[in-house]
Amino acid sequence: MNLPLNIDLRQILLHMLNFVILAFGMYFILYKPVKEFMEKRRKIYETTDKEAKENLAKADSLKKEYEEKLSFADEEIKKSREQSELQANSDAAKIIAKAQKEAEDILNKSKKQAEYESKEALQRANREISEITVAAAKKVVYKDTREAFDAFLESAKGDADGGK
Amino acid sequence: MSKKQRIISVAIFATLIILILSGIFLIKTPINNADEISEVMRDAVLHEREKISIFGISVNPGLVSAYTVTAILLLLALIIRIFAIPKFKIIPGKFQLLLEQAVGTFDSLAEEKSPHRNKFLSFYIFAAGSYIFMGTIFELFGVQAVTERGSPISLPAPLADINGAIALGVMSYGVILIGGLVANGIGGALKALKDFSLPISMSFRLFGALLSGALVTELVYYYYSLSFVLPVIVGILFTLLHAIIQAYVLTMLTAQFYGESTENKKEE
Repeated sequence: MNLPLNIDLRQILLHMLNFVILAFGMYFILYKPVKEFMEKRRKIYETTDKEAKENLAKADSLKKEYEEKLSFADEEIKKSREQSELQANSDAAKIIAKAQKEAEDILNKSKKQAEYESKEALQRANREISEITVAAAKKVVYKDTREAFDAFLESAKGDADGGK
Repeated sequence: MSKKQRIISVAIFATLIILILSGIFLIKTPINNADEISEVMRDAVLHEREKISIFGISVNPGLVSAYTVTAILLLLALIIRIFAIPKFKIIPGKFQLLLEQAVGTFDSLAEEKSPHRNKFLSFYIFAAGSYIFMGTIFELFGVQAVTERGSPISLPAPLADINGAIALGVMSYGVILIGGLVANGIGGALKALKDFSLPISMSFRLFGALLSGALVTELVYYYYSLSFVLPVIVGILFTLLHAIIQAYVLTMLTAQFYGESTENKKEE
């Protein structure tokens, strides 16, 4: 077959053979290993990226958790403080009330004591006055002054001894 | 360096250049092989005269270049595989970065243009891209070969040979077709078949672009007076830029059409 431009089918096929050899050689020797390497690197970066993202997410959730815990603890502390304050307040009130009561008791007691004592003193004084009066009356009865005086002294002495 | 020294050295340089230039223009050089420029150009396109024999098959020099490029690429790949890849680190060094960039560029191109199905495509455009790039750069080294007539020839870019260009264009189309067939059944294949001009356009785009580079270089080198500063510019324009641009264009187009033929309609 005589084609124009000296196109030769056999040579075309030879060129094709050449190219096929070249293509497969290049594929196995150069293209595949380079591409595999690039793929490997891509995977490495992907995993690193993924890991980093996972770690970040983990850290975030941990942070949230801790914050929650922290706020919970804060509340707890606040609550317990309030409670203890309340407790202290009530305790103090109780103590004060008790103290007041005791003071009142003491006051009452001492008042009664004082009343009683003053009553007794009064009674005694009354008694003494009556005795003195009786003695005075007796003196009047005794004509003799000297005798009477002695008698009074005697009786007063005896009184003082008896009073003691 | 003092001012005087500088002036002297510049003057020496200038006289040298003037002497050489005058020699070039004054001496009439006979063109030895008597290869007419038209003949050379015609042969660069059609390869009627300059053939190389491998294993008894008479082939265009481009085919020899193609196998040489494959050998070089595979050797390079092997060296990289043995010495560089086991030392790969998670944080890449400069060379590793370059390699990963090369693989990653084609990979992301495939992924971007053909989101539904791109494993095979990525590898195919990686191979095609490196083949086109290396094949075009290969022209710069000017590896010599002996033709059947016994004259030396510097090996051209493999894709400047029309057979090589057609092979790559048709293969790319085949990849698109088969990708469509596998992904979407007959519908996908039909979708690829709709663009029946694709293999032709892809083949001839490669062929034209690389041949133009070869032809202009040939033309420039044919005349002595043009062989001075100009080849640097031409070399960069037609070789380095083509190497990058053509590698990008073919891989991009393949990825684009592959993506269209493997597009998953059910998902939409």
